[in-house]
Amino acid sequence: MVQNHHCEGHETVGENKGKRPKFFINDHVDILIEILKRLDGRSLCVAASVCHLWCTIARNDSLWENLCFRHVSPPPSSVRSVVLALGGYKRLYTGYVRPVRSRLGRMRKASWARDEVQLSLSLFCVDYYERLGGSNSSRRLVGESSPLSLMFLCKPVNV
Amino acid sequence: MKRDHQEISGSGSKPAESSSIKGKLWEEDPDAGGMDDELLAVLGYKVRSSDMADVAQKLEMLEKVMGTAQEDGISQLGDTVHFNPSDLSGWVQNLLIEFNGPTTTPDPNFNDDSEYDLRAIPGVAAYPPVKSDPGLENTRKRAKTESSSSSSSTTNRPVVLIDSQETGVRLVHTLMACAEAVQQDNLKLADALVKHIGLLASSQTGAMRKVATYFAEALARRIYRIFPPDSLDPSYNDKLEMHFYETCPYLKFAHFTANQAILEAFSMANRVHVIDFGLKQGMQWPALMQALALRPGGPPAFRLTGIGPPQPDNTDALQQVGWKLAQLAERIGIEFEFRGFVANSLADLEPEMLDIRRPEIEVVAVNAVFELHPLLARPGGIEKVVSSIKAMKPKIVTVVEQEANHNGPVFLDRFTEALHYYSTLFDSLEGSGVAPASQDLAMSELYLGRQICNVVACEGMDRVERHEPLTQWRTRMETAGFSPVHLGSNAYKQASMLLALFASGDGYRVEENNGCLMLGWHTRPLIATSAWRLAGTESGSELTQELS
Repeated sequence: MVQNHHCEGHETVGENKGKRPKFFINDHVDILIEILKRLDGRSLCVAASVCHLWCTIARNDSLWENLCFRHVSPPPSSVRSVVLALGGYKRLYTGYVRPVRSRLGRMRKASWARDEVQLSLSLFCVDYYERLGGSNSSRRLVGESSPLSLMFLCKPVNV
Repeated sequence: MKRDHQEISGSGSKPAESSSIKGKLWEEDPDAGGMDDELLAVLGYKVRSSDMADVAQKLEMLEKVMGTAQEDGISQLGDTVHFNPSDLSGWVQNLLIEFNGPTTTPDPNFNDDSEYDLRAIPGVAAYPPVKSDPGLENTRKRAKTESSSSSSSTTNRPVVLIDSQETGVRLVHTLMACAEAVQQDNLKLADALVKHIGLLASSQTGAMRKVATYFAEALARRIYRIFPPDSLDPSYNDKLEMHFYETCPYLKFAHFTANQAILEAFSMANRVHVIDFGLKQGMQWPALMQALALRPGGPPAFRLTGIGPPQPDNTDALQQVGWKLAQLAERIGIEFEFRGFVANSLADLEPEMLDIRRPEIEVVAVNAVFELHPLLARPGGIEKVVSSIKAMKPKIVTVVEQEANHNGPVFLDRFTEALHYYSTLFDSLEGSGVAPASQDLAMSELYLGRQICNVVACEGMDRVERHEPLTQWRTRMETAGFSPVHLGSNAYKQASMLLALFASGDGYRVEENNGCLMLGWHTRPLIATSAWRLAGTESGSELTQELS
């Protein structure tokens, strides 16, 4: 009866009414964070829609940082400041790392994981540059998606 | 649509008397399975059904256009002129005489010349009906009664379905025939063929249609001497190039591979200076700056000199780009300096203007993406620029050029090369599955179309799209005193990954060619990146693998 993933406030309908569960995950944010750190991108996004607390945690960039560098050795510390300056890890992951990883899935070699991140970083930088100044009138940014020059990353891929 | 045979009364329709023409037909089509049209053979005509089908289809279209009801094959018009329908050449010749007026010399020499021209094309290419069709087209444009009567004498021919692939082949051959006519200064024939190309192109779809249309337009410009206005508005060209950047990987490939070479050359330096021969929107530099920022050991001080053409409205486009790059540099923590130089041509540059600092202090890289080939239009241009580059004492020079030979002395050769090259390019655009903003695709095609126009229609100093293949650039750079720098596996990896990201990544191929990288579509290489250093200096760039 432990309701791990339900919003707080709703009592169990049924037998054990009135009896609060002994363990409620939202009381233990550090454990929650540890769990959420290990999720994949999609699950993390889903988790962000569970409740306010989860949403706040999931927005924390360090979770996304883990996602980005999950399969590679830890990057030099300079990377963090650059990524944060360019828009943050969540944007990097959703816009670039994830599409790059999924697209390259078929030609994946373990040794290329680092290069994938490098490529994502480069594209991410181009993204930032294009968002500056808005020189061309034909730019349109649809929510979080990348500017047109990198639209190829947003197209559906027939795998 | 089958048409009923009409009994052809004796007037003017004797069985094939023009055996000479027939003879030529036979010779030219040895592979087309020598089948006479059986139905016509009954009437005594010895004509191939494939040829008739072509003619008949055109006639049908003519009739539709003209709105003449010919279903039952009865001519509504009293004025009938009878020609021998099996003598297509002679018949069309007569039409041409009538409709082209006194300017056309009605002598059979015209006939023979054209046939000779078409037969000069190797293979199964030349059909006299091709020549005859423009005559038909002229007639339909002028809508004279004679034309409908002549068509009436042919309406009783059965119609065979045209295979569009066959039309595609004819389209290519007609394009070649037209180019050859232009080469031989036979402008009348070229004019007629150009009109025919338009018609054939409309029966195609997709890339072939677009390519044919652009080439036809360029040929028409060359024939009529209506040269395109000098591509004077660089901002317009820049915008088109941005769309091209977005829809396909060629420019991205160029930037990424050049950046990789520059990065490796800069590996130990504390101050670096990049001279970009064509700054445009500066899309190449964010990625390099990011890589420099994340370099182990920290970023160097980065100086960028951007060169660009003068803007018609006197806006300082270079400064705007420099400003954007400076903002980026500040965000990611790189010391940045920018300078813009406006120049009509790279040959006007003097190295002293660029404030080159001593090589011990600052390492220089020169970057030229599609910027060197226009210099071949002026005598001495490229030599001047290459010697300027040497005076700048760069550690590395990155050159990206189209892998094509569009600078041969013979027009026809250039035309053929360009046709193959741009067909492949358009195919790749088509195949890239770019569904979004079809405006992007259209703009990219327009960008390429302008190049096509320049290659085909312009001459002399106006013809700036003087692409040359990598082998020629290699020779040029080596004789000037540069030696090649191998691009290395990092560049290859980056390029392959980049291409795999594109929806039709399968079609694109990265090839390594003696240390240079080439990007192509299927088996055809389209652009090539190469890197150079001054001969006699150490390279020192092969060691760095850890950088990126």
